[in-house]
Amino acid sequence: MMHKNKETMDACLAVEKEIDKVLTKFNGINEHASRVLNELVSQVESLKEFEAAPDNHILTPLQVYLIKQTITKVKDTVSQLTTNHRDLHSTVSKVGKAIDRNFIADFTATSRGDIFNRPDKIHLINQVVYQHFCRQGLQEVAEELSKEAAIKAEVQNKEPFTELNHILDCLKNKDLDLALAWATVHHNELEAHSSSLEFKLHRLKFIALLKKDPPHQTKAIAYARMHFGQFVYRHEKDIQMLMGMLLFVPNGYDNTRYSCMFDNEMWVDIYETFTRDACQLLGISVESPLAICINAGCTAVPALLNIKQVMMQRQVSGIWNGKDELPIEIDLGTDKRYHSMFACPILRQQSTENNPPMRLICGHVISRDALNKLCNGNKMKCPYCPLEQSPNDARLIFF
Amino acid sequence: MADVKALEHPTLKVPYEILNKKFRTAQKTLDREASHVQQTALEIEREISGDNVQTSDITKLLGGMVEKLQVLKRKAEESISEELQATNVCKKRIEHLKEHATMTPLGTMSEGALNQWRRKRLDRMVVEYFLRNGYYNAAMKLAEKSEIKDLTNIDIFLTSREVERSLMNHETSKCLAWCHDNRSKLRKLKSNMEFNIRIQEFIELIRSDHRIDAIKHARKHFPSFEEEHLTTIQQAMALLAFPVTTVIEPYKCLFDKSRWDTLIEEFRQENYRLFQLASQSVFTVALQAGLSSLKTPQCYSNNRENRNPGCPVCNEYLNQLAEPLPYAHCSQSRLYCHISGLPMNENNQPMMLPNGYIYGEQALQQMARENDGQIICPKTKEMFSFKKVERVYVM
Repeated sequence: MMHKNKETMDACLAVEKEIDKVLTKFNGINEHASRVLNELVSQVESLKEFEAAPDNHILTPLQVYLIKQTITKVKDTVSQLTTNHRDLHSTVSKVGKAIDRNFIADFTATSRGDIFNRPDKIHLINQVVYQHFCRQGLQEVAEELSKEAAIKAEVQNKEPFTELNHILDCLKNKDLDLALAWATVHHNELEAHSSSLEFKLHRLKFIALLKKDPPHQTKAIAYARMHFGQFVYRHEKDIQMLMGMLLFVPNGYDNTRYSCMFDNEMWVDIYETFTRDACQLLGISVESPLAICINAGCTAVPALLNIKQVMMQRQVSGIWNGKDELPIEIDLGTDKRYHSMFACPILRQQSTENNPPMRLICGHVISRDALNKLCNGNKMKCPYCPLEQSPNDARLIFF
Repeated sequence: MADVKALEHPTLKVPYEILNKKFRTAQKTLDREASHVQQTALEIEREISGDNVQTSDITKLLGGMVEKLQVLKRKAEESISEELQATNVCKKRIEHLKEHATMTPLGTMSEGALNQWRRKRLDRMVVEYFLRNGYYNAAMKLAEKSEIKDLTNIDIFLTSREVERSLMNHETSKCLAWCHDNRSKLRKLKSNMEFNIRIQEFIELIRSDHRIDAIKHARKHFPSFEEEHLTTIQQAMALLAFPVTTVIEPYKCLFDKSRWDTLIEEFRQENYRLFQLASQSVFTVALQAGLSSLKTPQCYSNNRENRNPGCPVCNEYLNQLAEPLPYAHCSQSRLYCHISGLPMNENNQPMMLPNGYIYGEQALQQMARENDGQIICPKTKEMFSFKKVERVYVM
């Protein structure tokens, strides 16, 4: 990461240096031009002083000399000015060269242009982009896109995002009512997912009641009696703590163990909990799938460009046809892994449906192809422990 | 290689090309205005080299000189301020790119700031994707909402929209003006745009049965292209001998109205080349690479339980999009518990149920605790006793 930041910084600075030079020089020439041209204008104008003379006045030799001199100066200065400007060309073009030297012009080298430019694929991309902006709450952008790209607004696709975004906006403003109503409607499903969302919402409501003046405490107690009972199974400790707060109603909660209940953290947490649990319940991903893909792509493209370059240098570019599998592993970080991947430790290959993982009787897992290779008649030895066994005892497993 | 280096070339190169163009226009303007001054200077010199010069004549000439100098001054100011403006766009973009690197000094990066930058990057990419596909209103809306107008190349696409629209209406003047405007650059790129437009004009004249005008048009415009395009010109000239309804190739093809669509597409590509934009958008390039690096065989498993709602490639539309793309590469096993999503390793051993399905020890233990020692396989819904669970070792 550090290394890449330095690389980015160096590249940017190299270009910026050239841009700054251009700025300085343009500013310089701007100033210079306006100064010398002003001078010329006033000088020529001063020559016109003999305007006052009668019409048929003939110029004196001195006047002719002065005019000659001034005109020569005008000619020289003006031609110098255009030359000065022309000379800036090399400064300007150095910016372009610095960009080409420090940034990759041919970033498309690793992708196939023919894949995503067919109308059906463009339509799919537009659907994804449309959903992305719906869930980002940029309804207006989604709307414009649906008009221009002729996407039929699929109501069932749009609704959950519209509703969720609305609820999240309310939560941001510390308004719990809509979120509570939603959680109550989805009570059973939330319970099935062991979600704490509903309890956490009630908790915040209770705290809000306590926060008002002391007379509200009877209301708070009534609220607790009405709602907390159903959560005692999973949140007994939390409920005890909440009710304990009543001890401090008259004197305030500062410097007590309960002060944290009023932190802004509670609101950050409820926002995240709501997003996560609601998305899980509705079977949609917490992060925008498009954003995940593009961020992954921004990690993958540089790595793929690198390996492509290496392959070209070694003249083995034919090995990667860009069809079955990427030539290298792209490290996207642990939170961007959504499926188990089994790579056979013997063959160093990813398992497939034709070459699935097999568990040997001793518990070690290898791929079926590796198992067949290790067979000697009806016997085989585990490559990791000395146990001799029959290959028929190996079991197909599923990750 | 850093992602900014690999993907941001067009972000900088396009405003640079605009700056370069502005520079050339400025030079032309300065040269023109300067030559006016020089001309007046010559006149004055000629005048005063004669005998008995009258003041009235010379005053008039000097007045003209002042005027020309003032025009030059004004034009110089205007031109240079345009150049400065174009340079400042470059500067703004480089500053935005630098943010990405500076906000992580000594490893203490602000996650929020980084995410913010990335969100903007996605929006920038989508704006370009929209523009390339002609969704101009969506592009402008997004640029406005995300406050990235200065960071995107909307302007050049809006110019090209004008030209595209006129071509759609079978008008050529805007496209020819564009060709003229960028003549020297297009010549360097060996562009055939102007030639193809001229041919199309010729075809349209024949279509509307103005064959004499067509010949006049050809005489005026074709000779300069003769060296390069002799065969095409001869083919086109032969059109004069055929009716519009001909079925003989290649003349039938030349009369086809879809040639206009080809011209529009050609114009788009030429415009990209003019500003050094790649033939594919950064957005689609990143999307392809991203989908590939996330794509696993499980995303296409027949058993829907193997799919993960959090996985982008398991998403309906992205799943179809990723179909022709290569899978991610994996040389080292990486196992995740389907129940808890946690990695399976020495702290969370992978365990096999009697049906061959593998889950993490922690999740299975918890399930057994809550279920009187019974385990329900979430993928097959079969029920087993926890005692039947066996250990597996994945190297």
